[in-house]
Amino acid sequence: MKPKWGFSEKNIAYLFIFPAVLIITVIALYPVLRTFWLSLYDVRLNDPSKNDIYNSYKLDMDRFVEKYPILVSLIDRSSKKPENQPSVAKLHQLNEQVLEVKDSLSKVPNFAKQYDQVDTIQLDDGNVPEELATFAMNKGSADSLLKQLEALQSEVKKLKLKDSDKQGILGLLNGIEKTVITPNFVGFDHYTDIMKQSRFWFSLWNTTIFTVISVFIELVLGLAIALLINRQFRGRGIVRASVLVPWAIPTVVSALMWKFMFDGQNGIMAKFFHSIGLIPDMGTLLTSKFWSMFSVIFADVWKTTPFVTLLLLAGLQTISGSLYEAAHVDGATRMQQFFKITLPLLKPTILVTLLFRTLDAFKIFDLVYVLTGGSNSTETISLFTYKIMFSQMNFGVGSALSVIGFICIAIISIIYIRFLGANIMNNNQSH
Amino acid sequence: MRRKIYFYLFVGLFLFAVLFPFFWQFITSIKPPAELFGKHAFSFYTTNPGLQSYINVFSDEKRPFLRYLWNSTVVSTITTAFSLIIASFTAYAIARLQFRGKNILLGVILAVSMFPQIATIAPVYLFLQQFDWTNSYFGLILPYTTFALPLAIWNLTTYYKQIPLELEESAKVDGASAFQRFYRIIVPLVLPGTFTTAILVFIAAWNEFLFALTINTEEMYKTIPVGIALFQGQFIIPWGDIAAATVIVTIPLIVLVLFFQRWIVAGLTSGAVKE
Repeated sequence: MKPKWGFSEKNIAYLFIFPAVLIITVIALYPVLRTFWLSLYDVRLNDPSKNDIYNSYKLDMDRFVEKYPILVSLIDRSSKKPENQPSVAKLHQLNEQVLEVKDSLSKVPNFAKQYDQVDTIQLDDGNVPEELATFAMNKGSADSLLKQLEALQSEVKKLKLKDSDKQGILGLLNGIEKTVITPNFVGFDHYTDIMKQSRFWFSLWNTTIFTVISVFIELVLGLAIALLINRQFRGRGIVRASVLVPWAIPTVVSALMWKFMFDGQNGIMAKFFHSIGLIPDMGTLLTSKFWSMFSVIFADVWKTTPFVTLLLLAGLQTISGSLYEAAHVDGATRMQQFFKITLPLLKPTILVTLLFRTLDAFKIFDLVYVLTGGSNSTETISLFTYKIMFSQMNFGVGSALSVIGFICIAIISIIYIRFLGANIMNNNQSH
Repeated sequence: MRRKIYFYLFVGLFLFAVLFPFFWQFITSIKPPAELFGKHAFSFYTTNPGLQSYINVFSDEKRPFLRYLWNSTVVSTITTAFSLIIASFTAYAIARLQFRGKNILLGVILAVSMFPQIATIAPVYLFLQQFDWTNSYFGLILPYTTFALPLAIWNLTTYYKQIPLELEESAKVDGASAFQRFYRIIVPLVLPGTFTTAILVFIAAWNEFLFALTINTEEMYKTIPVGIALFQGQFIIPWGDIAAATVIVTIPLIVLVLFFQRWIVAGLTSGAVKE
């Protein structure tokens, strides 16, 4: 039958999926590729000459025009100060050289004109339009400019000047040097550098340890609890609701709760562990390597085991009771029933739970960020990447770390999906 | 009988383990400041409870706690509504319509739901910064869609598939277009499932930390998890205030969970368990 609207069914399907496809492409797929792209460049947000991807030589006119006259006048003023008299001849010479910098730049076609345009705009306190804000250069003129600026810096360092003047001139020269934008493509250098860093291998190791141990404990504990409460009993609703609460609260909140309870002076859990002889003194929990990792895993197990229990319980409830009755009639022991019926039938649920838990655990960030801040061997890949990006503002290396983290996640997923195969996709395939 | 006692003992122990931290936060939050340290720190009750910690939480001008709550509410609500509308169309198409590339689409959605957020944060941050969208609601809603949309599509598809095919078939015979069938028949029937999915997406958005921490750094745009996490000062940690704050954010979640536990459990397990 032909639909009313002149759309074929297929076209309606494409229309329906279009918004989602568009959004997923724009905010997920493209950024991942872009992260990889960024990781091939030396991008640092705290360095104006490296705060983006640059493939050509440029001069940041906006800042050059701003800084250059200040440098000229600072040198001029310095030469008039009595303290600087011994070096006055040198300063005059320096002034000449600085003026020469602009002169040689002015030989490049259009430079002088654009310099004056930007200068006029800046004097009027206006915003410099994008097309005027940078000046394209070739490698030759950029290199010679950089060489001039470096020569000037080493000369200034030799001069006998009042300290504040010397620092001021050096600072401005350095600032002007930073207006010369050179291509910051580094290829795979970040990756090879990262591979040489022990901090990286350490964070990878910490993440792996955390993931393997916490997921293992959560699964075993979750399965045991699920098996035990898989029956009708009074108060079942309360159990189920309370199990949901740790899952529902933000990880940050649970991390803070445990941080307080693990506290070396006032922490009730620290006190408890100490009194049963588990730890030598209360302060050990969050200050030593082993016990810090223990605390992180402990807090994660507390938050996630209930969730795992819930998933496994739902899986158990799909297993028909008649199977057990039949097995019982045949004289199978409880052990046999568990290994011959429960485990095989629960396997798909266990695998899906394991997959999601492993991926989540591997990405762990907020728990560690709050609980230990990554100290005492608890720094994970995500936390390490975050620190490189947002404390050091090094987006190039940070992106390379992100890509490595992404690859790890992809490998874990592929391994699991090999096991799960059709299982996970079948769930959503057409009838 | 004996077995039964052991069983309830076990259940009780389990509940205690799960709920003790909440109880402890509550006690800490009503203890007067002097009882937070020393020997009183470990006492399970307080003889002179007070609301000082709660007053501190709401009255500190440097950290506008109510504003954090409001920010989280706005961001999570819009993220949920936005992703659910878009996901409904997609889920219907996947569940009911035939088109090429369906498996690829499913694979991509599944893959995106597994993406570590850290893998997209650099370009997302640079992009938002370029357009001056950091420290805004939009700046969070946009990246939140990366996890909210796959979650919503994945869940909703399961619900759309549960609607009997016959209902649609008969409408088809009556000459209803796919679009009409979608909003006249399917959408009303799948409302409970949509609601369940909405709760899951809302909680995920409410709890998100990494994007919120990096993108909205101004006090006026911080969300509740970031606000609470940064309660810790440089040198002293105001445990009483933190306890009060955690109690305040936990209570609505407990209410939510108590009311909708059946639905939440159904939503959580539908992905993992094949019925």
